[in-house]
Amino acid sequence: MAIHQRNDWYDLTRATNWTPSYVTEDELFPDEMSGSMGIPMESWEVYDEPYKTTFPEYVKVQREKDAGAYSVKAALERAKIIEKSDPGWVTILKQHYGAIALGEYAAVTGEARMSRFSKAPGNRNMAMFGMLDETRHGQIQLYFPHEYCKTDRQFDWAWKAYHQNDWASIAAKHFFDDIITGRDAISVAIMLTFGFETGFTNMQFLGLAADAADAGDYTFANLISSIQTDESRHAQQGGPALEILIANGKKEEAQLKVDMAVWRAWRLFAILTGPAMDYYTPLEHRGNSFKEFMHEWIVGQFERSLIDLGLDKPWYWDTFMEELDSTHHGYHLGVWYWRPTIWWNPAAGVTPDERAWLEEKYPGWNARWGQCWDVITENLIADKEELTLPETLPLVCNMNQLPIVGTPGEEHWDIKVHTIEKDGRLFHFSNEVDKWVFEQDPQRYEQHMSIVDRFLNGDIQPMNLQGALEYMGMEGVAELGKDAHGYAWIEKVKANMKKAS
Amino acid sequence: MAFDLEQKPLRTWSHLAKNRRKPSEYDIVSKNLHYSMNNADAPWEQAPNSPMNMWYKKYRNETPLKHEDWDVFSDPDKLVYRTYNLLQDGQENHVQSLFDQFNEREHDKMLEADWVLALAQLYTPLRYVFHALQMSSTYVMQMAPASTISNCATFQAADLLRCVTHTAYRTFELSTTYPDMGFGVAERGVWEDAAHFQPMRELIEKQLASYDWSEAVVSLCYVVLPMLAEGVLKPLSEASRQGNDTLMPMLIDSQLHDSQRHQRWATELHKVLLADNESNEAVVQQIVDKWVPLADAAMDAYISAIPNSPVSANDAIAAAEKVRRDITGAA
Repeated sequence: MAIHQRNDWYDLTRATNWTPSYVTEDELFPDEMSGSMGIPMESWEVYDEPYKTTFPEYVKVQREKDAGAYSVKAALERAKIIEKSDPGWVTILKQHYGAIALGEYAAVTGEARMSRFSKAPGNRNMAMFGMLDETRHGQIQLYFPHEYCKTDRQFDWAWKAYHQNDWASIAAKHFFDDIITGRDAISVAIMLTFGFETGFTNMQFLGLAADAADAGDYTFANLISSIQTDESRHAQQGGPALEILIANGKKEEAQLKVDMAVWRAWRLFAILTGPAMDYYTPLEHRGNSFKEFMHEWIVGQFERSLIDLGLDKPWYWDTFMEELDSTHHGYHLGVWYWRPTIWWNPAAGVTPDERAWLEEKYPGWNARWGQCWDVITENLIADKEELTLPETLPLVCNMNQLPIVGTPGEEHWDIKVHTIEKDGRLFHFSNEVDKWVFEQDPQRYEQHMSIVDRFLNGDIQPMNLQGALEYMGMEGVAELGKDAHGYAWIEKVKANMKKAS
Repeated sequence: MAFDLEQKPLRTWSHLAKNRRKPSEYDIVSKNLHYSMNNADAPWEQAPNSPMNMWYKKYRNETPLKHEDWDVFSDPDKLVYRTYNLLQDGQENHVQSLFDQFNEREHDKMLEADWVLALAQLYTPLRYVFHALQMSSTYVMQMAPASTISNCATFQAADLLRCVTHTAYRTFELSTTYPDMGFGVAERGVWEDAAHFQPMRELIEKQLASYDWSEAVVSLCYVVLPMLAEGVLKPLSEASRQGNDTLMPMLIDSQLHDSQRHQRWATELHKVLLADNESNEAVVQQIVDKWVPLADAAMDAYISAIPNSPVSANDAIAAAEKVRRDITGAA
């Protein structure tokens, strides 16, 4: 045999720990960057990544993947997806690229954190491939939407969103900086790769890919499913790190990080992916509901991987299950109502047929969120658009940075603000879990100012909605979010009313 | 800026729209991506006094190298992810083909006995060196003040993993022909204890533990990487010819393509530093002066252990100095 099999020499690529003597182990791996919880280097050497690859295999496979993704894009450039798609689909593209592209690029830094500071040599090498993967995801998700800039000013936010203080930008950064860029290596391995990438990226990249293919956007479907093949490889870095922590008596610490990351990921996905799947995707192209996708990808698969590792379900699992029915409906209502403050045009998604679908997927939807949409619908029919637009900022949570929502409806009204008062400052939380997350790490969270705190501090001038919009990075009217269909859906409501009468 | 009521779509990102020329793919996907540079008080969206914000404020924001607009830096090779893979897949096809064909012709059996010993002492332990420089490059990446600089460091780190991989492969292969020479088992001991590696290990450990970004990037790119190319790879390549090792020079040639690219971006970085702020020159010089003696000692010890080295330690030290002069544009 002329070429030796990978198995013969792979271990040597990760036999790279040595005992330093010109500096101490702590100087080489400062705890604030490595997060090794006092477990010495040699104990990390048993780290065994389940998915193995090597440099020559990586560059070959990735070159081929990119050749595929870019050639699909080139072949379909004349398909005029922006011009020909339903505006609800176009808004998903704007929301996705703005919320994801620079977050993926920031993940290069998180992977680099592991690649430099993990005491596990296998983790350091896999994170090197992770750095390359995330470079890919940042670059390709800037390159693909770039050609859409000329169609619509909101596509500029694919590059721009993370550079702004838009409330949605703040929420995305607050989450990703908490699990990716702002953490030590082992926390990144647990919170980013295990807590987030194992389950939630499936939601965005596979769930949405199914809807994209159905909507005829093969470029996007192909792109994000290709990205997910990388995610599913580098997501496997967290498992072996967790095994080492558990074997060294750190189960409680590991569990805490998992619980915090999963809850935080849930909140962000409830506002990002929830409305995209259940309201923005045109009804005829919807596959599963958001809740069904969550059950498939998070509840089923993620729960199994937790148990397999010897971890427990997060303590708040029952609350989480309840929220699968409700939270994203409240978020959608809020996002649509505060639409001038975002860079995408939310589709209301409440024509009679869509409401019937929502009622089927979420029994009781009409009695809860439906009655709020009734008021909005009536105002629009009566030409009172101004009553459907905001004049103030919403109350936002000091943990997830998102508006605090509850479930409306006479029988269900459960809005309750959870607060902490500390040193004369009042902190507000969406529920007891967000409050709990906040309490786990006061040094990380306390001195952060939510957009409402900044407004009240006078950081936002003039102190009105226009001042807030400009503070959020809106430079002109074309960037402000509007109803995706220009209220055309009202005609369907009217037609239905006519039929009924 | 007044709120624009007649806002029109742009042909590119708003931050590139002011440029006259059409943006390249490189510009579109590489420029101005580090949002952590926007708020000096809190680089990351956390409390300003969170541990990671404190680290970035101390080691990046307060670093002695200064620039008004770090984003003006561009990789002279304009590499993006997909062209990096094209480039390196081509290089790896070449290297894999070398490995394949030299194995077929039973290259390792033809090696001189002394050279086999030298490989165990001088070559196969280098995976620790390559890996340490891979680690160091990933630190430069995560702390760099511009995404364009970070990307150069990412590709550089990957190049060094490539060298780790070549070395691991050759280590195993040598162990099949010479099972009793310690290939694959003795390298850690050589790296930790053999006299000819200790000055290099001192340099590398201290460099890895230098967290200020200016110090990290200058010591790595101006001092340690030139040491690797001029004081390790080239002398090893030259010496290998005497031991009937015809594979090594071809392998190192391919690795030196990467070294040349590393030098090109360091040269561009230096230009960008000097164009903005004259005080940067003194900062660079001070860091170089601090690290060069350690690198020179490392080259001296390493080359002294190469049997009948055609390249003397003084030659290598002078060559590394020449690389630095090329980077800094000094006459």
